[in-house]
Parts: sequence; structure tokens; C-alpha cells
Amino acid sequence: MGALANLILAMAVGAALVLPLFLCTLRRDGMNGQSQQVPFLGGGSQSAHAWQRFHIRYYPMTLLFIAFEMEMMFMYPWAVVYVETGIKALAEMGMFLSILGVGIIYAWREGVFRWQ
Amino acid sequence: MAARLARAPGISLQHSIRHAAILLVAGRYRDTDRSALCRLHDQLPQPRATAWWGAAPLTDVHDPVTIAEGDDPVPQLRRLDRDLLRGARASEPDWLPDEPPNAWRGKGDHGQGGKGMMGGVPYGRPMAMMGEEMRDGLMLDAMTVTIGPFLRTLPPGLSLELTLQGDVIQQARVATPAYSASGIASEPLLRAARILELLGLPDLARRARISAARGDDDEGLVAAARRRGALLALPADLADVRARLDAALRRGAAPDPGEECLVDRLAGMEWQSALLRVASFDPATLSRIAPAAEPEEGEEEKAA
Amino acid sequence: MTAIPLVFALLAAGIWLSALAERFASGRRFPSGTVFAPLLQAARLLSQQSVRTEHPDGLNWVLSPIAYLTLAVAGLSVVPFAPELAVAPLDTGIVLWGACEALTIVAVFLHGWSANSMLPLIGGYRFVAIGLPAMLLSMFVLIAAALPAQSLSVGAIVESQRSLWNVVRQPLGLPLFLLLGLAISLRGPMDYGDAADLSGGTAAEVSGPHRLAWGIARLAMLTAFAAMGASVFLGGYLGPWLPGPVWLALKTAALLLVLTWLGRNLARMPAPRMMAALWLVLLPLSFLDLVIAGVEALP
Repeated sequence: MGALANLILAMAVGAALVLPLFLCTLRRDGMNGQSQQVPFLGGGSQSAHAWQRFHIRYYPMTLLFIAFEMEMMFMYPWAVVYVETGIKALAEMGMFLSILGVGIIYAWREGVFRWQ
Repeated sequence: MAARLARAPGISLQHSIRHAAILLVAGRYRDTDRSALCRLHDQLPQPRATAWWGAAPLTDVHDPVTIAEGDDPVPQLRRLDRDLLRGARASEPDWLPDEPPNAWRGKGDHGQGGKGMMGGVPYGRPMAMMGEEMRDGLMLDAMTVTIGPFLRTLPPGLSLELTLQGDVIQQARVATPAYSASGIASEPLLRAARILELLGLPDLARRARISAARGDDDEGLVAAARRRGALLALPADLADVRARLDAALRRGAAPDPGEECLVDRLAGMEWQSALLRVASFDPATLSRIAPAAEPEEGEEEKAA
Repeated sequence: MTAIPLVFALLAAGIWLSALAERFASGRRFPSGTVFAPLLQAARLLSQQSVRTEHPDGLNWVLSPIAYLTLAVAGLSVVPFAPELAVAPLDTGIVLWGACEALTIVAVFLHGWSANSMLPLIGGYRFVAIGLPAMLLSMFVLIAAALPAQSLSVGAIVESQRSLWNVVRQPLGLPLFLLLGLAISLRGPMDYGDAADLSGGTAAEVSGPHRLAWGIARLAMLTAFAAMGASVFLGGYLGPWLPGPVWLALKTAALLLVLTWLGRNLARMPAPRMMAALWLVLLPLSFLDLVIAGVEALP
């Protein structure tokens, strides 16, 4: 059997092991009254549904994150051929990372890492 | 009172009522807190029970478990827990009527109809409304919630009405003031324990509570907090909290020069920082900046 | 195929050990039978009601703990117990592991989202802010470990440590990687999802069997992470006298204990400060780790 099939089998076994815990949830549903369902706020209450257009304070950071995440795509093949290519590979990645590093400094100057 | 439970083996105080098995009402409570108490009770998962430790049971509670104020509650709580698990004692029913918090009054399948995005009342609860952000002026949803009076991370009895955008507080209002704790010698340690818990140090918080319950001096507490980075973790804009935590660990009170009221000091703060700041004020300062009313004792929930 | 029982045996042992370590670390005295304490706690949760909140996102409410656990299993699948003995000995093992890290952030977020309650919602959003940069950090140190192996397969990385473990060769790697472990298993200084200041965060509304499932998933992820860390930095199954799987289990247990201790003994700073620290201090450190590994790996 292929590695992929094994992986899927293992994941399925894992899921099957916890799924029963949720089946007994269903059995108890009858006694879940309306007043029990009120969200927990230490005795307090919320005036509206919690779901909302949430103000994500770190939103600009996620854009910077995408830049680095794409950079990871280049690093995977780079890591495999690194030893063969030698010092040239180190210099290339060094340059690439320095450019991205300047990006971090710029983002910092623009206040991206503040909760704003 | 509840600090005495910190040392009890096999009993752990929980942060969320959903994680508890028994609601322990410790000390007297205000009449105005009754509805919050009922709400909290109904959120307990079944099988559940309530124990009244030095507190008067609500009148319509059937077969209440009462513990005298001077007694050690641990044996009774354990028996109660065992009886619940074995089914020897029936689980308590809801105290509030079984009806939705808001009447269903929308149009459409899910009550979503109405004007624009915000007109409907899906499932009988309205959606959050838009409001201008105080710092960047973005128009996003502002959400108003009331937290407390029985939230473990807030001083007992304090209830705040917060208007939040994301996890940043736009506006705060004191709904009910904290119970007065002045005159309790161990109060600084209990306050330090609350701050330590907010910083993710439950073991150290427990150590502070035990020291408070014993009434002795735990000399190593400040050093232990320092080693775990409790003071370092507080950023420069929370320097006031750092000073107060340091003083509280030494069982002292740091002077608070500010005359600004609590709610103004919370505006624009992120959730954890805001709670840290609220937890750091000593009772005298808190009653001054978050106006107080009746002087009463504390209350907390727990699970065996 | 033969490795599948091994994966679940390691997960079960890891969950049990870390639950036990957690109890000991909390310094509480317990009545007799401490060894069975996690089982008793599980039995208690099973006998409790699983409360549903007001109109939750029912599907994600149930799926997120399952996804969390499944991701732990998937992550552990690429870890070899002995040469060639892994559920999925992929050439791109650490890429799959990276995907599991990323999807864990999604699973935790969905758990916070689905309850339709304020405290879990804040926990879910806040966790993403810390989870994303922490994941970046871990991928840099994993790629640094892949350099001397000339392969992205975890088996090859273990084999490359026959002469010297990566923890010595790349001293910055393991400490930075541990931060990610604390983040994706929601503990201590990196617990921005299920923290006490949010009364349990994404887990604030769960009780009974649901809470048990979430707890198991968290500890399973911790175990999977520890096994991965042991393979990449501590030589995995390599070791004298004892068979490979035993060495892996021992090293995993050691990392579990270290993570439990760190989780309980380091203060958590407010999220904005942690986010800035991750990007401005720790990420440059991971670049440095990459340079150290690169210079060291040159022939």
C-alpha cells in the first residue's frame, strides 16, 4: 500500500476514535434548555450574536506573513540542493532573506506589529 | 473565603462555569446579583448542584445544600460531588424559564430580514451593529457585552459593560461595583493571584492563594514571580500594573496617583491588558475610580 | 501499515504521560491512585452533559476537535520509528508537517468561531495572530535541519544526525521550535487561544465529552510535536542498545516533560507584544539559525 493510503487510513482511525464522544452529545440534547445555552460571560450577557465583522487588529501583519509564506516555497527545493550548490546557494538565500528582512523593518516602521 | 479552597486536594476552581460540576456560592451576595447568579447556574453542565457557603439560598431552590460560614466546606463538597456522579442526588433543573433571551421577531427563514445587513434578529438575538472605531475610524461592528459580576479574572462583584471592536475596548461602563474587600489582610495576595492567573501562571497563583489563606509570609513569592517572567511580560504601557503587582506580592499597596476613573483607563486597550489593569487596583482605589455601593463579600464558582 | 499501531500507541502513552505530568506540575496533593487520575478525569467528563451554546455553527463545533486530533495523527505519520518504519515515509515529510501546523491554526480558529460566544471568538482570532508567525519560525528551523540531510524527509534528517545531533549542531533550532510546540498545543506562554484571561478561550463553552475530545486532541498534538522535535533535533530513533521505537519514545517523553514544565512556568505577555517579539526578535534569530546551519553544512 502506498504511503498516501497509509496516511489517510491513520487519519481515519484517529477521527473514528473521537467521533463517538460527539455521538453521546446528541443523546443528551433533550435537556439543553434555552437558559443553559446563553453564552458564558461570568454572569453577564451579550446584547447581540458574537458573530460580527470582527476588527482584526493584526490584519496588516497577515499580508507580511504571505510574503514569507511564499518565500517558503522557494526554500523547499533550495534546501535539497543546498550542499551540492555550495556557497553560491548560501549567498543567494542570504540576499533573498536580507531583502525580506528590509521588509520586516519597513513593516515595523509602519506600525504593522502594533495592535491598531 | 474561596482562597481557603486553594489547598484542598482534589478540588479545583475553574475559570468557566462550563468546566465545573458544582456552583459554590461563598459569602453574601447583593440582591442585584440574583439574576446573574441564576444565569450562571443554568450554564452549568448536568449533573450539577449548588452549595451555599455562608450564603442564603435563593428562596425557590429545592433542597439546598448549605454550609455554615465557619465550617470547612471540603468534606461536604466531596460528598455532594460523589452523590451527583453516582446519581444518588438528582441534578438541579434550570432556575430561569426555558425561553429565548430575545423574542423571535425577524422576517425570513432565520429571522434575518429587515433593513440592510443589520435589520434582522436571527434566532431571536440581533446582530452586532456597526460603529466607528475610536483609533482608526474604521466602520466595523461594535459589540456590547457585560462581563461579571462572577468572572474569576475580575475582582469579585465587579461587572463591566464593554463595547468591543475586535478584542479592543471602545467604551466601558461599570455595571455593578466590586464587593468591598477592605480590611482583609490577605487581599494583596489574592489580587496578585488574579494577576498571575491572567499572565498564565496558575501554579504561582495557587501558591499566593495558599499563602493568603494561611496568613503567613511567603518570602520567595516575589523572586519566583520574577524568575517566571511575570514582571517582564508586562509591556511598558502597563508599567503601572507592574508596579502594583510587585507591591501586591510584597503584601503592600502601590500608590495610585491618577484621578482618572477606571472606564477611561480601559478605553483603547486590548483584552488581556485591560483585564490585567482592572485586576491590579487595590479595593480602596477601585471603589474610588469605579464607584461603589454596598459593602459585601466575595463569591466564586468551583468544581470538585 | 505496521507503523499505524505504533503511532496510536505513542499517542496514547504521550497523552497519558502529559496529563499526568500536568497534574504533578500543578503541585497538588492527590488521593491514592494518582496514576489513574487522568482516566478518572476522563470518566467524569464522559458522565457530564455536553452543553450546546445558542445557535452554534454545529458542524464546525464538532469537526474542529476531530480535525485537531486528525492533524496530530497526520503530523506523527511522517515520523520514523526505525529506518523506513513510518506510516508515510514521504520524501517531503517536513512539508506535510508544515501543512499540519497551518491547518491546526484553522482548527483552533474554527473551534473559537463555532461557539457563537464572545470569549471563544476573541480566543480564536487572537490565536491566529500568534500562530502564523510562530509557524513561520518553525519552518525556518526545520529547513535549517534539512540542509545537512539534503532532503525534506524526516527519515533522512534523522539519518543525518548519526555523527552529531542537530540540537548541538544548530543550537538555536530546538528552543525556537519548542515555541511553536507551545503555540499549537495551546499552552503556557504561547497559549493565546485557550487562555485563562478568556476563561478558557476557545474551550470556554465546551463541557463533558466535547471537552474531553478537545483535551485529548490538544495533548495528542503535543505528543506529535514532541515526537517530531525528538526526530529532527534529538536524533529520533538513533541510540545504542535499545531498539529504535524505544529511543524515540524516550526522547519524546523527555520533550513532553520539558514542554509541560515550560508551559506552566513562563508568563504569557499580551498578544501585541508577543506578535512584535516574534517578528522582530525571534524571526531574525531563526534566520541566524539558518545561516549557522548553512555554514556548518557546507562541505
